[in-house]
Amino acid sequence: MRRLLPGALAALVLAAPAAAGELPVVRERLDNGVTLLVRANPAAPVVAVSLLVRMGTRWETAADGGLSNFVQAVMVTGTAKRNGGEIAEAITGLGGRLSANGDTDYSEIRGTALARFWRELLGLTAELALEPAFQPDQVQAQRDFLLARVQKRRDNPPTHAFDVFFATLYGTHPYGLPTLGTPESLARIDQAAIVAWYRRFYRPERMVLAVSGQVPAAEVTAEARRLFGGLPRGGTGDDAPLAAPKPAGGRTVVEQASQQTQILVGSLAPRVADRDYAAVKLLGTVLGGGQAGRLFVELRDKQALAYTVAAFFDPLREPGSFLVYMNTAPGNAARAEEALRREIERIRAERVSAPELLRAKAYLLGTFEMDRRTNARQAWYLAFFETLGVGHDFPARYRAAVEAVTAEDLLRVARSYLHPLTTVVLGPPPAR
Amino acid sequence: MCVRVRPLVVTALLLLLACGGVARGEDPGRPRPERHVLGNGVVLIVQEQRASEVVALQLWMRVGGRDEAPDELGLSHYLEHMLFKGTPTRPPGSIDRMVEGVGGQDNAFTSYDFTHFDLLLPAGQAAAGIALLADIAVNASFDQAELDRERLVVLDEVRLTEDDPDRFLARRLSEEAYRPTSYGRPILGTPEQIRALTREQLARYYHKHYVPKNMSLVVVGAVDPGLIRRAADDAFGRLRGPDSPRAPMPPPPDLGGRSVDVPRPEKQAYLGLAFKAPAVADPDAAATDLFTYILGDSPSSRLSVVVRDRLALVSAVEAGYVTRQRGGLVTVTARLEPENLDRAEAAILAEIRRLQQDGVGEAERQRAIITAEANYAFDIETAEGLARDYGEAETNWTLAEELGYLTRLRQTTAAQIQAAARKYFGEYARVRFVPEAGAR
Repeated sequence: MRRLLPGALAALVLAAPAAAGELPVVRERLDNGVTLLVRANPAAPVVAVSLLVRMGTRWETAADGGLSNFVQAVMVTGTAKRNGGEIAEAITGLGGRLSANGDTDYSEIRGTALARFWRELLGLTAELALEPAFQPDQVQAQRDFLLARVQKRRDNPPTHAFDVFFATLYGTHPYGLPTLGTPESLARIDQAAIVAWYRRFYRPERMVLAVSGQVPAAEVTAEARRLFGGLPRGGTGDDAPLAAPKPAGGRTVVEQASQQTQILVGSLAPRVADRDYAAVKLLGTVLGGGQAGRLFVELRDKQALAYTVAAFFDPLREPGSFLVYMNTAPGNAARAEEALRREIERIRAERVSAPELLRAKAYLLGTFEMDRRTNARQAWYLAFFETLGVGHDFPARYRAAVEAVTAEDLLRVARSYLHPLTTVVLGPPPAR
Repeated sequence: MCVRVRPLVVTALLLLLACGGVARGEDPGRPRPERHVLGNGVVLIVQEQRASEVVALQLWMRVGGRDEAPDELGLSHYLEHMLFKGTPTRPPGSIDRMVEGVGGQDNAFTSYDFTHFDLLLPAGQAAAGIALLADIAVNASFDQAELDRERLVVLDEVRLTEDDPDRFLARRLSEEAYRPTSYGRPILGTPEQIRALTREQLARYYHKHYVPKNMSLVVVGAVDPGLIRRAADDAFGRLRGPDSPRAPMPPPPDLGGRSVDVPRPEKQAYLGLAFKAPAVADPDAAATDLFTYILGDSPSSRLSVVVRDRLALVSAVEAGYVTRQRGGLVTVTARLEPENLDRAEAAILAEIRRLQQDGVGEAERQRAIITAEANYAFDIETAEGLARDYGEAETNWTLAEELGYLTRLRQTTAAQIQAAARKYFGEYARVRFVPEAGAR
């Protein structure tokens, strides 16, 4: 493959599709606060469901880190009606997949199926979310799986480097916590903690259910209303604001046996709802978007310093993180890091040319349109933007914002956001 | 290296490539592509698909790792890297700028049986994309400076694969199972060969294999097939070149006694088993496909239920069907604690024996067929997914067989699945990744 990004780090590329190609979305807020979003899409005989709940590492501490993801992991292993094996058989029988995980600002249950089974898929999703069994033996079994996954993340140089980077950048802010938790926090979390966490967050006001596929929208809405409408209200669903992180910058070196050295350099960035969000997305695209991005051209094509070079800036409710990433042969690491810094300095010093800005806009908008073509991505995007508080129709406004960004805007956001820089270098110890 | 392989789910996705079998007819309700053979032998496959305003354009080449002589290892893959670098009329960097400047994407993949070059563009750019693919198919410049820089990138890719235990296990397992045939050689080449590779060597290989009769152009998207045919005639119809028949391959080797332990820095161990399986166009492929789904494709598959959930011997286990033109493999891979290596292997083998002796249930068979149907339905959600199905079918077996594959799967009986299980699951090759001293 010409390009390879670490799988666990799949970047969320954000832009907006051509408005003309947009299919209508039915949005309904149930009386109890659950938000429904349904998009009928005739393209292929499949359906995807995404149920997002405002529960995630944002509400966790180091002591109970990983709790949201733990809840989700146990949730799919049994309900009041079925055990894990029966659930797995049921979903396979629909031609689908079903999984759940915790993330930073939300937790998700997502499922897919052949379209003719949409009713069964919706029913299964509701059963998992509303009638979980949380059996103690499943808590223990999932803890073992999660501990193995934590180990795998630490063994894998790229994912380990990203975890170190976020911990360093965010400090005590919960965005610095690993979504999976740590061996210590996972050991501490018991069945009672899982049930309490579930009851605190699985409230109708905190839920968004999105469906996309070859389905009848009115019937899907009615069925969703029937399944979720009976849930009693639980409060306002509002969250107290968090204190903003204050990174000091600096350079952290981690030694780990590996063939390649990982280099990450970055800083804090705007919230998804901030005015500068679109401009910083474009900044990331000029630097690390695609094979015509500056990092790919300068560091890989011209200097052959790295196989993977990329910029990451994911939309978050609280301040996001902007980072450029590369991995390189250990012997090239010093030169590569210097070259990376030079590119950051350059974009803070010089105005981006008009053709470069045009390419970046086309790439950013085009990649997003490409990314939103499957029903699974559509269902997730709809629920995700709604959950983040910017509305499922955010893409249209965002598109306009991207198109309005000027070279002056880029220079301004580069200067205001790209410092102080936090650097993490992870690689083999120097040869003796 | 294989299409559609994401680093963390190698075997599951290999399974999606499984296709073959003998079609009695086409699957009902399935949209039909047009297939044309141009005068010079280039095959054109076109399908109009209006799901979104994009077009997938893919050039499939009937050349890959298996066509390399021992002193040519890695050349197919090196070409994958070099072709988008430029031609006499397209200077280095201009192709990426052109594609990304319209919001499109380009990428390329190398396998043992084929190499393909993919564009995803706004539908209005289809003709420009076809012209671009025809240009790089025969006019690549191989600029010396570009070639030298790319050497370091490819060496990085070799190391990167080694750092990822899932990918590296899949690769080592297939190398162990296929050696000494050309399917068992490193597809990226060896670091020594990559360092020593010359422009002349690369150009010779390119001109030998990148000839019209080895080319298939697949176009799927919001396009008018008539216009695409004219654009393909203009760009590809005038290409000329000699035939380049493939060298015969010896039959796949027996797998008994093939076992290797690799010390690794990870703290968990990895276990990989590979069994000989039918080639992609073999009549037994459909039964093997279903067998693999039942064995280890999902959380309700037998290996997950027994070896992971009930016996708790592994943290993850999957089965996959590696479909190649001249002989396939069914692989079982697991991630586990090192002290469980022997017991997990025994449990996996016991589960396979149970399938061989007792066969599969009707409910299991139905679920496997629905899974296959769903894999196809999810493939065709995107233009590039459908184009890949067609391109691989045209290159590795036939488009007609691909179009009837689901029908063939539905007709496969439980007895045929059991017969395939008995026929193929005997001796196996084994690769284990074992934490090196000090890792724990």
